[in-house]
Amino acid sequence: MIKNKHNTIAIIFVILFGFSLFFFGTDGFQAFTAESARTNKLIEEKPKFPEVILEDSNERTYPISEFEGKYIFITFMYTACTDVCPELEMNMLGVYKQIPEKYIGEDIVFLSISFDPERDDPATLTKYRGYFESDGETWRMARINDQEQLDELLEEFGVIVIPDEYGNFAHNSAFYLVDREGYLEDVMDYKNIDEAADKVNRILEKEAGE
Amino acid sequence: MMTQPIIGLITLLFMMIPPVAEIMESIMILHMHMQMPMIVIAGFLMAPFFTKRFPNFFSKWNQTGIPGMLLFIIVMSYWSIPRAMDDALTYPAVELFKFISLAFLVGVPLRDSWKKISNRWQNGVLIFFFLQFTGLGILYIAAPGQLCNNYIQSEQVTLGWGFLTIAIAILVYLVQLIFINPADYE
Repeated sequence: MIKNKHNTIAIIFVILFGFSLFFFGTDGFQAFTAESARTNKLIEEKPKFPEVILEDSNERTYPISEFEGKYIFITFMYTACTDVCPELEMNMLGVYKQIPEKYIGEDIVFLSISFDPERDDPATLTKYRGYFESDGETWRMARINDQEQLDELLEEFGVIVIPDEYGNFAHNSAFYLVDREGYLEDVMDYKNIDEAADKVNRILEKEAGE
Repeated sequence: MMTQPIIGLITLLFMMIPPVAEIMESIMILHMHMQMPMIVIAGFLMAPFFTKRFPNFFSKWNQTGIPGMLLFIIVMSYWSIPRAMDDALTYPAVELFKFISLAFLVGVPLRDSWKKISNRWQNGVLIFFFLQFTGLGILYIAAPGQLCNNYIQSEQVTLGWGFLTIAIAILVYLVQLIFINPADYE
């Protein structure tokens, strides 16, 4: 087999190199996809929600600071989306229904932000919100008209949107929870409704208990 | 005598030209099954330059061929992680590391090591890649979501079939080894 001392040293060196390559390349074997790396980093960094001006389905225009003092449960979507967004919004409704009524609108608001401001005007958003029983008040759907603000928000929250040739977008999806001061509190798996609802409820109950 | 290393170097530099890299990286399967192998081939072609220039280094540290083969396998495996592909597109340093590592830590050791290791080891390596590519093929085809943030899921499925195709090719080669003795034809 291996008779040569140098070869043994070389093998050990190669294995150490390989180990560190995989270790650093996956944040210590934590993240094998860029998406999990992104989520881990976001939760760690807790970026502040950038200053953006929203226009909602009721044609009201206001800055995001309108919601200061409340938690915001956010998803990013566009209404022309046929695959993941309806599921994302349906699951958002699932979470919405599990939050006790006393908190809704008082301590937490739901917000679906469209990254397709060109097509998602207030009328389109109004129609869309109807599909998901969103009331337009405690669960709002809004677009960001200023492309620069929108890009900054997507960048800050790690939402990657790739337009395809059919006028659709490929994008990553998650539930985002922003705290009362406007800092990102958590990023949650949108497929796991109960877990997300439990997490939000725990946070709200804990604060109510204090 | 040194035409191969020159062709290799030109290939590597050509692949690094930003517009060329951009086209190759715009489609997932081109990125992984065209660009990356081309860089490895460039390194493979450049290998004689290094083995002739530093013969002592290679005979001393890679006498059995096992360290080089191991390096080849490890770095190849690293570049098949979805994350690595995304990182190469996001961070210029990782992109540069891709070119350097695939040429000099994959292509060069492959050429120096392959002829040094026994037939048994060679077949072992092929079996390893058959298993790895089959696994990756299934992963990329069957994954419920997008694995790479830079590529949509349909491209991912295409890449998965690409992996399975290569795995089948390796399998065909391995199976014919059982029935055909190359010595009969020499």
